[in-house]
Amino acid sequence: MIPVLEIFQPKSVDEICRLLKSNNGDTRIIAGGTDIIPGFHIDSPRFAGIKRLLDLQLVDELKTVSINHQIISIGAAITFSDIITNPVLNSYLPLLVKSSKTIGSTQIRNRATLGGNFINNAPCADSVAPLLVYDAEIKIKSFTSEKIMKLQDFLVKPYATRLNPDEIVTKIMVPVPSTDFVGDFYKLGRRRAVSISRISLAMLMMNEDKIIKEMRIASGAVTPIGTRLYDVEEFAKGKVCNEEAFKEIAIKLGERILAVSGLRWSSEYKIPVVQQVCYQLIKGIERRSL
Amino acid sequence: MKKQQLHNNFNVVGKPAIRQDGYSKVTGKAKYADDYRFDGELYGVMIRTKASHALIKKIDYSELNENRFIKAIITADDIPGSKKVGPIKQDQPIFCADKIVTPGDVVAMLVGEDVKELRKLTELVKIDLEELPVLDDPQKALENDSILIHPDFKTNLITHYPLRKGNVEKGFKQCDEIIEQTYTTQLIEHAYIEPECVTAIPGEGNLKVKIIGSIQNPFTTRKVVASVLGYGLNEVEIIQAELGGSFGGKDDTMNILSARAAIAALKLNRPVKIKYEREESIIESYKRHPYILKYKVGFNKDGKLKAMKIDLLADGGAYSSMSSFVTWRSVVQATGPYEIKNVHTDVRVVYTNNPYTGAMRGFGSPQPIFAIESLMDEIAVKVSKTPFEIRKLNGFKQGSLTASGQKLTGHEVTLHKVLKKAVEVSSFDSKWNDYKKASGKKEGAKQSYINDSLILNKNDFINPDQFWRKGIGLALSYRGCSLGAEGIDAAASYVSIQPDGTVYLLSGLAENGQGMKTTFSIIAAEIFGISPDKIVYLEQNTSRIPDSGPTVASRATLMGGGATKNACEELKKRLIKLLVTIWKLKSGKDLVFVNNEIILRSKKSKRIEFGELIKQAYQQGINLATVGWYAGPKVHWEEETGHGSAYFTYVYGCQVAEVTVNIGTGEVYVNNIWAVHDAGKVINILGAEGQVYGGLTQGAGYALWEKISTHNGKIRENNFDQFLIPTSKDIDAIHPYFIEGKEKYGAWGGKSLGEPTLELTAAAIANAICIATGQRFYNLPINIEEMLLRRKLYPESLTRGSTS
Repeated sequence: MIPVLEIFQPKSVDEICRLLKSNNGDTRIIAGGTDIIPGFHIDSPRFAGIKRLLDLQLVDELKTVSINHQIISIGAAITFSDIITNPVLNSYLPLLVKSSKTIGSTQIRNRATLGGNFINNAPCADSVAPLLVYDAEIKIKSFTSEKIMKLQDFLVKPYATRLNPDEIVTKIMVPVPSTDFVGDFYKLGRRRAVSISRISLAMLMMNEDKIIKEMRIASGAVTPIGTRLYDVEEFAKGKVCNEEAFKEIAIKLGERILAVSGLRWSSEYKIPVVQQVCYQLIKGIERRSL
Repeated sequence: MKKQQLHNNFNVVGKPAIRQDGYSKVTGKAKYADDYRFDGELYGVMIRTKASHALIKKIDYSELNENRFIKAIITADDIPGSKKVGPIKQDQPIFCADKIVTPGDVVAMLVGEDVKELRKLTELVKIDLEELPVLDDPQKALENDSILIHPDFKTNLITHYPLRKGNVEKGFKQCDEIIEQTYTTQLIEHAYIEPECVTAIPGEGNLKVKIIGSIQNPFTTRKVVASVLGYGLNEVEIIQAELGGSFGGKDDTMNILSARAAIAALKLNRPVKIKYEREESIIESYKRHPYILKYKVGFNKDGKLKAMKIDLLADGGAYSSMSSFVTWRSVVQATGPYEIKNVHTDVRVVYTNNPYTGAMRGFGSPQPIFAIESLMDEIAVKVSKTPFEIRKLNGFKQGSLTASGQKLTGHEVTLHKVLKKAVEVSSFDSKWNDYKKASGKKEGAKQSYINDSLILNKNDFINPDQFWRKGIGLALSYRGCSLGAEGIDAAASYVSIQPDGTVYLLSGLAENGQGMKTTFSIIAAEIFGISPDKIVYLEQNTSRIPDSGPTVASRATLMGGGATKNACEELKKRLIKLLVTIWKLKSGKDLVFVNNEIILRSKKSKRIEFGELIKQAYQQGINLATVGWYAGPKVHWEEETGHGSAYFTYVYGCQVAEVTVNIGTGEVYVNNIWAVHDAGKVINILGAEGQVYGGLTQGAGYALWEKISTHNGKIRENNFDQFLIPTSKDIDAIHPYFIEGKEKYGAWGGKSLGEPTLELTAAAIANAICIATGQRFYNLPINIEEMLLRRKLYPESLTRGSTS
């Protein structure tokens, strides 16, 4: 049931920070509402005790995309529909755009926001893995402070982040990726739309003279939260681009994910499949790199 | 996509007509059950237990005493009439008084003005239970030491249908090859988009109660409510609100909810509404029967079928509901549309503590069709024939004998026509050969790359060029139209021409979203030579029209269409008689009703507008209203042997599915489905195509995604985040084709389409997957885990990560 609520529609980040100043947890920011509203309906304890909602609809500064000094700044309340049509994001962050297209349905993408996706921090949040391989950082503001944090550090565990009750995430900042990177994103869901990820993988690869110079991999849904797999990246670095190496990387990824996630009811399916998907992704990227 | 054009001599029939209720539905103007508001209305909220099987020792409501939110607590003690109901066996209580047999069971209903508060208060009811062992495996239901769900019946067997033809053991001895195979199909939810909702309003005068709701079969609801209240049928009035989907699912559950609302409304003398949330709807409503299907088939080297032994076990769940009718259709159609001399079939349906099962679109046919059509492809492999050849060899022809010994005559047996057409339009044979070759594996040889170790070996990785496999498969069926020997089969239709030439129409059958109002209006418009928009279809109300039986079994067009045609022809006869007098003709045989006028064929200048003729008829005092009646011919069934003319006519269909399978992940993409159906005369081509789109999408859901599973008797998938139905993006291209076989029944031979479209799809997809992967799958749904692991995986607990 939706509780009795006070709803505010602030017009600026400053106003939000003021309203959050002495928040003890009963005030919550609502962006698209695609997590909070269904959460209310099933009486989720995660949204219990909320008395006030701050709606971001009117805060235009949280919806812009700009590029400055090789840093792409994305307003945290940008919707996935807006990401999909944004020319800057399409040219520089194609994995983010590709993952955005797989989220929910048109109606959900029209409301759901990029910031909301990782602040909710569900294991299956589709945009998280691409943001992680792009080395995204986020800007967090409160009435008294402003800080910048790596997205990976911000994400603690499923449905938990380092966001304090008096804070708001205002921006996602992504360094323009080197044009030498070729990458891909894969989402495995049970159906073609309105589908919760079973597995997602984002990957960027930079090859030089048939040697893997740099590889970045992040997973979603198959790890407890979206996770950069640095061990696997390290393992891949310097390997010669060939079948053997690709398979070894995929196996390493399987081992790493199993270590991170432990055995779960779904492991029997997910662990073998994520290795297969990883191998397919590398092969696809290699073909496009030639 | 190329659209099929039907060529005929009709003016309106067979042409595309937009549904009458379409505009109001897409613009949100249509009034569904929850859109009705009544002064002083109260709401009912159910109280359930946490048990799957238990004796009720005591229910303590003391904490609710004097609670200002509660107007009444309704229990079994408030029921003046029948405390238990059911279409065949009266085994389902309106409120449970002494025993819980399934988690959906309701012990009481709190009634008050504030639903939110009432829901909170349900927690305060203390129910003292003595838990009983839970029977959740239908295979154990008939064991001697099995606990009895309804001890009064002394057995968990709901029904057993035997069918014996020829001598099956002798048949097996005489044939060259034998295959034995077991298939399983799953429990599924109807997934109508509108959950249950009904309001009961205390009546006025001699009418005791009026009920308006999301009701599929108003006359069945009336019967149940009258029996529970102890009233005459005419003291209860049922009005059908616009229905937001049913698929067979708004019958028993809605009857019981209507009765609960009516008891409360009469006790408090105020309107009482019950409205379910999705979770409640899935937990309490009935579902489609899961089956375990054991087939043994004997055939010759050339593929000719000789003998078939079939053993089907259906899980009826906690209540018998429609189980005996559902499984009867299975016994009739279990062999598929094939000539077999020796058949030995047993169909049993049993009680368990699982969610109860009843009517759902398909009604006992999707399960055996999945089995028999999988089996036919297996036979084809054994005798090196194509799926087309094996079916062509064995399929019913004009005059063939069915398993029950019924000779297929009196209608055109179009089985081979639909098969041939489907194979042609889909280029089946060449694709089948190409894909089989490309998959490069012998049938059943290649297993999935997944082994016991979760970490892959290097040779487990699939070459990217091998990742995607294409497959094509077909499935063929025959289906008995309407109720058959299940029950009395007759329907009424009321037609009344108004003084200005406009027309009222109402049949005793119900518009459940299938487009029936439009279909019947087309039939009336064709006969009167007027436009369908001159016809207003009236509100469905049990007080206004004769009981025409339930709107089930794809019978509305056939039976109600027949009744509408009869009514209109009767009125037309009166008009012709009048015009013969006015124009001083010898007979009316040259009079043509077309384009809103009546023309004398031999003398074209002789014409009169329809409205003008009606005006004259009124002036002459001619009665221009009538109730048409249409009764099906006699059919019969011998319960002991399974012999008889099960249905008075049949329809035939063939579907071909083309899929792409990702053999690395187990994902299946449905690229094309060609659906060729003989539904008899097509009345509205747009409506017919709509049935095909919807039915086969639902069938694809059955093949690939949908499943209700239980954990200690409790349903896991209680909302659409976990019970996955296909979206419009999940099926790429759908190609409907219609063959209009000759038929003497119904309106110009218009028969059945709703269920035939659904029953074939899962089998066709399974056969396509087999060609793509070289592996046969025996257990629906073929989801991603089934594809790679050959079983389903479930979380250990019912709670979700997002809620904890």
